[in-house]
Amino acid sequence: MQIELRTQVIEPQRKTFTHISDRYGDRPSTRYEEGTIDLQSTVNYHYKPLWAPDKDIYSPDFSELKLADPYSFMDPRQYYYAPYVTARADLHEAFGSTLGYLEKRGLFERLPEAWGGVLQNVVLPLRHYEAAAQMISAYAGRYGWGTSITQCASYASFDRIGNAQILSRTGISYGGGTAEPLALAKTAWLEDDAWQPMRKHVEQMMVEQDWGKSLVALDVTDRIIYQLLFVHLDDAAITSGAGSYSLVAQHLSSWFADQRKWLDALYKAWVADPEHGAANAATIAAVVDTTIATVREAMAPVAAAADSLIDAGTTDALSAAADQARAAYVTLGAVKEN
Amino acid sequence: MTIAPKAPRKLSMKDRYSALTRDLDWEPSYVSPDELFPQTKFEGIIIHDWSKWEDPFRLTVDAYTKYQAEKDKRLYAVLDGFAQSQGHLSLTDASYLNAMKLFIQGIAPNEYNAHRNFAMLARHLNGGGPRFAALCQCLDEIRHAQTEIHTLANYNKYYGGFHSFLHQHERVWYLSVPKSFFEDALSAGPFEWLISIGFSFEYLLTNLLFVPFMSGASFNGDLPTMTFGFSAQSDESRHMTLGLEAIKFLLEQDERNVPIVQYWLDKWFWRGYRLLALVAQMLDYMLPRKVMSWKEAFELYFEEQMMNGLFQDLAYYGIRPPLHVDKAIQEKEYVSHQAYWILYQFGHAAAFTTSVPTDEHMKWLEEQYPNTFPTYKTLWEKEKKNIENGGRHFIRGLPQLCQVCQIPMGFTEADDPFVQAQRESIFEGERYNFCSDGCQYIFDHEPVKYRQAWLPVHQIYQGNCGGPTLPDVLEWYNLKPGDGGEYLGSMDHQNWLKWHGEADSAEGIDEGDAAYAGKGH
Repeated sequence: MQIELRTQVIEPQRKTFTHISDRYGDRPSTRYEEGTIDLQSTVNYHYKPLWAPDKDIYSPDFSELKLADPYSFMDPRQYYYAPYVTARADLHEAFGSTLGYLEKRGLFERLPEAWGGVLQNVVLPLRHYEAAAQMISAYAGRYGWGTSITQCASYASFDRIGNAQILSRTGISYGGGTAEPLALAKTAWLEDDAWQPMRKHVEQMMVEQDWGKSLVALDVTDRIIYQLLFVHLDDAAITSGAGSYSLVAQHLSSWFADQRKWLDALYKAWVADPEHGAANAATIAAVVDTTIATVREAMAPVAAAADSLIDAGTTDALSAAADQARAAYVTLGAVKEN
Repeated sequence: MTIAPKAPRKLSMKDRYSALTRDLDWEPSYVSPDELFPQTKFEGIIIHDWSKWEDPFRLTVDAYTKYQAEKDKRLYAVLDGFAQSQGHLSLTDASYLNAMKLFIQGIAPNEYNAHRNFAMLARHLNGGGPRFAALCQCLDEIRHAQTEIHTLANYNKYYGGFHSFLHQHERVWYLSVPKSFFEDALSAGPFEWLISIGFSFEYLLTNLLFVPFMSGASFNGDLPTMTFGFSAQSDESRHMTLGLEAIKFLLEQDERNVPIVQYWLDKWFWRGYRLLALVAQMLDYMLPRKVMSWKEAFELYFEEQMMNGLFQDLAYYGIRPPLHVDKAIQEKEYVSHQAYWILYQFGHAAAFTTSVPTDEHMKWLEEQYPNTFPTYKTLWEKEKKNIENGGRHFIRGLPQLCQVCQIPMGFTEADDPFVQAQRESIFEGERYNFCSDGCQYIFDHEPVKYRQAWLPVHQIYQGNCGGPTLPDVLEWYNLKPGDGGEYLGSMDHQNWLKWHGEADSAEGIDEGDAAYAGKGH
């Protein structure tokens, strides 16, 4: 039997805010909607920016990629701040446990030497890539149009510094508590011939003025890199006695699966836009094809470096990852089949 | 076989933090540093060595997310419990919520703006240390915007004035005061942002903004807002630390930065202080249960903490207290009375209600302001007679607004409460009006910027606000019956009495919303 608590019943005058009921009718709104819809100003700006006197402080014109209604895109994860930090607290806690286990069992020292080389030369330099991704995402977080997009981009920016920290902590652990592997990785990033094409690509993405294009270029690059390093090499590690690499890689590949959710929804919204769809698709296709070609070439020496250390077919896997990335954009309707 | 793990030679905390943040940076080779960081030169600030930035707190992503997730869990539990138990019924009075209406309309959208522009710093500052600090604040600020909205969303279901806060923030006359303030900072470069918002707003004036609202909540039974306040406190103390580090960093980098920073301090002190007129009137007039007077708050949080503390320290760098601070000190005796009187008279076009202070309230004001309140008391006594004769005072015309702070020109000369202060400057043949020397000073430095201001009154005259008549404009504001005007007899007031079983005592008060219907003279 049920206990019947008596409470004062007061009929609410409205179930939610006007800007939400205007869209969805007067129904209770979610906290994601309350914390997202229309939060960014769109009209009656007071002053032109000193840094862009031809534009407004918020403007759809900071990118070629546009949505007639920015809230036609909503984050499928429905991340507002609280669920976002909760999800990431879990991710980092899980990574922390992994790292604790690897340290406790001395597993980095048991990593086969060749795999140590892969970690050192192929994986750790990517902490700088992640740092660049942080800046590119923050750029979209500031100059994007509409809170649904900029909120995702801002969280992604924080994610990327988090990923850089995951890689750095892995490096410190691998170095037995010292920063030596990080210093070596930085030198590799800055000086090794194998990394220079990739660093050039990254630096050029960072100075792209169109936040939408730089976000797409970064995502294309991510698709290839994450597939190659945290899926392909993860598999190879398991079959060749380098389980500790897999234990680290799982956290980055699961992060990437989460990242895909909002980006894939955004591509769909861009392409389906009643006003800008065709133009968006053309812009995306151009960025995708250029970037795939660039990354294919830029990552080749890195894949070759991996091939010189381990027999995992990394060069072939790079080519497959690039094809797979393109195919994904075809599926999303953003790129035509070759 | 087991291999004993090597005992790790641990990095120092500082080195470890550096490895996790600023060590990620590198000098670009394939693009120029100016291409990579295009925003950090045009303001004239000179930075020689970004690595000299001291990380004020060593927070990493794992620690940040863990700590913040725990705080949010506790906060949302309180919000849910309060909503479920109809906690709003235990507020001191429905009129208390006027303070919160002002908060959600004026402050929450600007927390959001702060979020967006700290993302700009998280991209554009040259140093990895300050970029990461900015990124943390970027996230904190969206937290504040969202938790404020979530905290107040429950009141929106039962009370007027909350429902269209975003729409109104972009349109309503008194909200152009906070909107133009923040857009002024958003349209500036990254260094001015650090001084305007990072330092002036988040350090110099934060206690005057934040504490009155949160203490007001605590004194008036608003458990959710109070809990939000406590929950935001640790974020705010990080922001204060960042603001202080920012100003010291700029001042230490090059002597030529000192006059630029000094101008920004002069400007943003006065800009912020004028914005706080809204807080001053809230503290002295809107809270049913008083916390402290504006005068007392100003003396404690500004004169004592900032003038006698902070500015003594900054003198070392050649920084003097902001210009016009003497005016603010003089005004502490009367700014709240004048600000509330302005809002009261234009209350028919606002999304909060106003009312003549009760006798008890006036007694408190007299105690707090023995030198000045008697003058204003005469005004209120006269207004009480008007009301007895059936006509609450509303100004039907449109006021002249200050070109800089955008408050209607209703402040007086410091030495004469009957002479309205008015300053004017001519720029390229046009005349511009200001409420004060401080606002005129700012305009004269940047006339090209301030002449662009979207002044609500000018916009109404130009036909950009829904139509030529007052009802047209109010509809364009999306003001609904019960949102504004007089509190007594308003929908909030009537409901409050009904919910508390005191509906009978509401008899004799005008049905509907007298103010909205436009009674008065």
